[in-house]
Amino acid sequence: MSSAILAQAHSYLSGIPLEVISQGAEAVVFLTTVHPYLSESMHPSDIQISSKYIIKYRPSKTYRHEILDKQLTKSRTAAEARLLSKLYSLKIPAPKLIALDAPHGIIWMEFLGFQLPNGHISSLKNWLWYLERQQEADTTATIALSDTVKQVLTLVGQAIAKLHLQDIVHGDLTSSNILLEQNIEELQPTLIDFGLSSYSPLAEDKAVDLYVLERALTSTHPVYSEKYNDWLLQGYEETYGGKTNNKRKYAEVSKRLEDVRLRGRKRSMLG
Amino acid sequence: MPYYSLGLEGSANKLGVGVIEHPLEKIAAYNHANVLSNVRDTYVTPPGEGFLPRDTARHHRNWVVRLIKQALREANIRPNQLNCICFTQGPGMGAPLQSVVIAARTIAQMWDLPLVGVNHCIGHIEMGREITGATNPVVLYVSGGNTQVIAYSRQRYRIFGETLDIAVGNCLDRFARTLQIPNAPSPGYNIEQLAKKGRHLVELPYTVKGMDLSMSGILEYVDNLAHDLFQGKKNKQLIRADGSKVTVEDLCFSLQECIYAMLVEITERAMAHVGSREVLIVGGVGCNERLQEMMGIMAKDRNGSIYATDERFCIDNGIMIAHAGLLAFRTGTRTPLDQSVCTQRFRTDEVFVSWRED
Repeated sequence: MSSAILAQAHSYLSGIPLEVISQGAEAVVFLTTVHPYLSESMHPSDIQISSKYIIKYRPSKTYRHEILDKQLTKSRTAAEARLLSKLYSLKIPAPKLIALDAPHGIIWMEFLGFQLPNGHISSLKNWLWYLERQQEADTTATIALSDTVKQVLTLVGQAIAKLHLQDIVHGDLTSSNILLEQNIEELQPTLIDFGLSSYSPLAEDKAVDLYVLERALTSTHPVYSEKYNDWLLQGYEETYGGKTNNKRKYAEVSKRLEDVRLRGRKRSMLG
Repeated sequence: MPYYSLGLEGSANKLGVGVIEHPLEKIAAYNHANVLSNVRDTYVTPPGEGFLPRDTARHHRNWVVRLIKQALREANIRPNQLNCICFTQGPGMGAPLQSVVIAARTIAQMWDLPLVGVNHCIGHIEMGREITGATNPVVLYVSGGNTQVIAYSRQRYRIFGETLDIAVGNCLDRFARTLQIPNAPSPGYNIEQLAKKGRHLVELPYTVKGMDLSMSGILEYVDNLAHDLFQGKKNKQLIRADGSKVTVEDLCFSLQECIYAMLVEITERAMAHVGSREVLIVGGVGCNERLQEMMGIMAKDRNGSIYATDERFCIDNGIMIAHAGLLAFRTGTRTPLDQSVCTQRFRTDEVFVSWRED
């Protein structure tokens, strides 16, 4: 990452230790040990909660026109923070919001995830890649398509469904925007990066959400994507089940998804 | 003896013929392909009009023999030295594609050479890689008919993001029609020149959807602004902060700023997603200096590098078809006569990339 971005972040967050943990397309994610509201005399480790926090910083994009850039940074940061607090009140798994500085593009939030045995952070993408590598080394095993994978992907589907039932669309679902948390026995997926999220009651937008993830899975996990996607949609359907009203909503989204799949440009129109 | 192939391209309003030479052994950084000739003729329509398939096809039929002769003469190659005839099989406009494929079939039978059908997008990507030396870049393919962000994985060029409606070049071309500015050398070039004089940013919709984008709404919006401007209608958006009026130049500037920012954003997202530091811009809109500049700034912020080519290889040309076709030919690909049908819909990820080993 360029030093200019780092310098800018340090100027907005003076005196706060920042460790870069990832640079996404839009934001830099820092790890810090300082809680924004604690007085100097108190150390975060003195209190009973985690002493790790995430700072998500949207640097200004110098390639964009200044006005356009300021507007996008501010609106996206504020929208993301609003959504995080909304998700918390709805009890949908997502990082908890701690603090916000929208004009500078800074969000302070809870730390999630853990390190995989190969040292990478536990995003769904890294985890699946890790399993797929193992699978390649030992072709007789079924690591990449094990029951654990099935369960995790079903849970991912359920999480997305919960979101959609509240008329929230994520807007940028990929396997790197899903983090895995180590619960006692099982892995619990959590959605992150709500930078492009919005509210929408339309089946269309929900179907596009699912389609974007489907495409991301196909391009990042080409060999197993079909199974992954089936499991995901299973979980999605389960959560919609139950009430007849929701079943109707599911049918609508599902039908739209078929349409959206056909809509990509220059698809062969056989049959 | 090295390999030679002749490529024919005519998927839109450019007719291109090129002859390429591949030295023996694998093509690599130390073993370059040689461009022997690369000739092109563009069908240009009057201001305010687009090119219609039938007229474009007639243009191609009128010029194809002359261009093939010229390409062979410039390359100093006789037909019996060629290894194969490569042609664009799709995607593109039906009628122009068809008239060029007929030319390809004819010379292939006259000279008794095998045919190789080439995907137009793959042609752009492979030529871009060959000219710039980029090894495994994220590719932004932007032209009049296509807008895709592509990355290579397991023998296929996979599409990570693309337009959900119209292509970026199409958006620019149609805005140029609204403005009634000349189509020569290209509508996009003329918009670029006007945009250089624009200063004031008019707010336009910004429609990135994950790694995809949509441009039809922006076109409609800016078209309406232009109509209001020409008819002198009152519109708050057409007044600058200092009270003076927004100009056509400002509209071109704003349109470029908006859609190129969207393109750079989705490219950056794809780079972050696949963990690549290289970006290659191909396709006609890739000539745009502002787009190249913006992409360069983005790449620099990521400690990466940008690869772009000039108009000889960005704009549709025959040499890229010859090059990609010859790569496929050398790994055993042939297109039998009865399968040499061209198609308007031919996705980049349908092609099995047999010539890459990574």
